[in-house]
Amino acid sequence: MKLILVGNPNVGKSSVINTLTGSHFFASNYPGTSTEIEKAILKINGTEFEFYDTLGVYSIYSDREEGRVTRSLLEEDRHDLIINIVDASNLERNLVLTYELLERGYSILVLLNQVDRARDLGIQINVAELTQILQSPVIAFSATNNEGVSEFRQFLEQLIIKPHAAEDKISQQKGQQRLILTEDFSCSGNCGNCSISKATCSLDLDRKLAEKARKTAQMVSSVSSPASHNLLNRVQNFIDRPYIGTIVLLLLAYLGLVVLTKFISFSEGPISSLLEPLSNLLHNWILSVMPPGFFAVVLAKAIPEGLVIPFTIIMPAMLMVSLLMALLEDSGLLPRYSVAMERFGRLFGVSGQAVIPLSLGFGCRTPAVMATRILPNDAQRFIVITLLSIVIPCAATVGVIVMISAKFQASLAVIVLTMLIVMMILGMLLSRLSPREEAFIYELPPLRIPMAKNVWSKIKLRFAGFFTEVLPLLLLMSIAIRALIESHLLEIFNGMEHFTRMLFGIPAEAFVAVLITIFQRYLAPLVLLNLDLTAREATIALSMIALSLPCLPVMVVTVRELGFKSLIKILLMGFTTSAVVGVVLNLILPV
Amino acid sequence: MNSTDMRKGQKAVVRSFSKGQGMERRLSEMGIRPGTEIELLEKHPFKGPLLFRVGQSRIVLGRNIASNLEVEIPD
Repeated sequence: MKLILVGNPNVGKSSVINTLTGSHFFASNYPGTSTEIEKAILKINGTEFEFYDTLGVYSIYSDREEGRVTRSLLEEDRHDLIINIVDASNLERNLVLTYELLERGYSILVLLNQVDRARDLGIQINVAELTQILQSPVIAFSATNNEGVSEFRQFLEQLIIKPHAAEDKISQQKGQQRLILTEDFSCSGNCGNCSISKATCSLDLDRKLAEKARKTAQMVSSVSSPASHNLLNRVQNFIDRPYIGTIVLLLLAYLGLVVLTKFISFSEGPISSLLEPLSNLLHNWILSVMPPGFFAVVLAKAIPEGLVIPFTIIMPAMLMVSLLMALLEDSGLLPRYSVAMERFGRLFGVSGQAVIPLSLGFGCRTPAVMATRILPNDAQRFIVITLLSIVIPCAATVGVIVMISAKFQASLAVIVLTMLIVMMILGMLLSRLSPREEAFIYELPPLRIPMAKNVWSKIKLRFAGFFTEVLPLLLLMSIAIRALIESHLLEIFNGMEHFTRMLFGIPAEAFVAVLITIFQRYLAPLVLLNLDLTAREATIALSMIALSLPCLPVMVVTVRELGFKSLIKILLMGFTTSAVVGVVLNLILPV
Repeated sequence: MNSTDMRKGQKAVVRSFSKGQGMERRLSEMGIRPGTEIELLEKHPFKGPLLFRVGQSRIVLGRNIASNLEVEIPD
C-alpha cells in the first residue's frame, strides 16, 4: 500500500516516518531539510506499507521546486492514502493545505503532530470535533514521545481489512471526483469559464480556504496560558534580537571552531600512539608474508599509512563536525545564522539563506550541494555551489589542513584568511554576473533542545561515509601514490621544479599533491607528509589545495543539480583560483 | 503605511502587497494575506530583515519585501 506524507515545511514529516517505520531519514529543525522524496517500508500482518516522505510545501499549488516535486508525486502515481502531517501548534496555517487536499477529493488521514509542543504552548485541540469538521480521520501524534503510534498502527490494520474505507467515505459525502492536477495549473478552483485572471482568481480562492482554515482552527482549539512559559522561549527571544543575538551566534560559531581544532589536535596523539604498534605489526607482517621486492615494499608502507592517516586525521574531524552540525540543525540555531548573516551575505553576493548550505558544507559538501534547493533561483544556487566547491572545506579537509599545517608549522591564519578573501572576491564577482534577487522570506523554526537519539543517529549517518568512502579510497590511493613514489616515476615532475618554484614557490612534488586533490582533497597529505617542506612552502601548497576543485561526488551531484555546463565553469574557476592563490601568496609571503 | 514603518512590538493588519503576484502568492502561502494580524518582533539594523509573528509562526522578511507590504494599525 502506498502512503504519501504531505505537510508544511518543518512539521516533522521525516521524524514521523522515522518513528513509524524505524528508518533513519535526516530530520532537522529547519524548513527544507528533506531535499528529495524518500521511501520507507513498514510491514504489518504481512502487508507492506510504503511511506513516501515528500518535501515540505505550504500549498500543493506552490510554483516552487518543492511544490512541483510533491505535486508530480500526487498526480502521477496511484496511491492509497495521503497522510497529511499537521503541526498542532500552528493549526490555522497548516489547515489551509489540509483543505486544499480535501478540495481536490483526496482521501486523507490527518496526523496532528507535535501535540506535546502545542500543549506546552497552552493549546488544546478537540480531536473529535476536528474529525467531524474535516470528515476525515484525525490522530493526535507526537514523534518525540511516541504518542499516537499505536492508534496509527490500528488505523493501518483497519486499512488492510477495508482498503478503500477512507476513500469511499470521502467521495460519497462530497460527491466529488478527483481532479487531475496539471503542470500549468495556476488556479485552485473549477474556473474554466471564469473571466477573472487566473492569478487573482487563485489568490481569491486561497483567501476562501484560509478563512475556512481560520474558522476551523478557532472552533477546535482553545488556548489557555502556556503550561510552561519556559526558558527556551526566553532564550529564543534573546537570540532573535538583532545586536546581542548576532553576537551570541558569532561567539557560538567561534566556540565550535575552537572545540573542533582542539579536539583534532588532542585526539591525534593518543590515536596515533595507539595505532603505531599496530601499523608496525602490519608493516612487518606484510614484509614477512610477501615475496621480497617492489610490491612488498609498496604495500608494507602504503597499507599502514593508508589506515593510520584516516583514523588519526580524518576520523576525529568527521566525528566532531557531525556532532556540531547535528546540534546546530536540531536546535533551530542554523536558520538563525541565515537571518543574522543576511546583510553580511550581501558582501559575498548571496542571500542569508545561503548560510544553511554553506555551513552544511563543513560536514560534507555533497549533501550541501543538494541543500542549495532552498535558495530562490538557479543563479543563487550556482553562486553557492561554486563557493561550496572551491572554498568551503569539508570535515575531512579541515582535519587534513589542521594536521599538515601543524607538522610543517605552516600558518593556519594565512590559510584561513586567504580562504575568506577568496570567498569574498569570488562571491562578489559571481553576483555581478547574476544580480541577486532580494527575496528573503523564511520561517524561523522554534528553538528546541536537540534529542540525544536524533543527534546520535545523525552522527552515525554522517560518519558512515568514513568507512564506506574515505577509508577504502584512501587505502587504494595510498597504494597508488606509494607505488608512484617508490618507482621514482614522480621524478618526471622534477623537470617542472624550476617552473613550480618560480610561479608558486613550492617544489614540484608539492605541486603533484595539489594536482592529486582533483580526486579528493584529503588525499593530498599522502604526498605532502612524505616531503620535506618549509613552513612557507606548506602554507602555499595547503592554500592551493584548500582552494581548488570539488571532489568527485560533489561533481556528480553538481551535474545532476545544475547541468554539465555549470560544472565545467566551476572546474575552470577552481583551477584559476588555485593557480592565482599560489602566485599571489608566492609574491606576498616573506621568504 | 508599509510594514517597515511599524515599531517593535506593534501589531498591524495586512492590507495588500504591492509587488509581483509570485511573491504575493508565497506570502499568502506562509499565512501573510489581507486581513491577517502580524506583530513586528525585531527589526535588524542596516536595512536588514524584519521578524514578524504570524499566528504561531515567526516569519522573517527581507527589507525589500517588507517595504512592499502595506499594513494598517487598528484603532
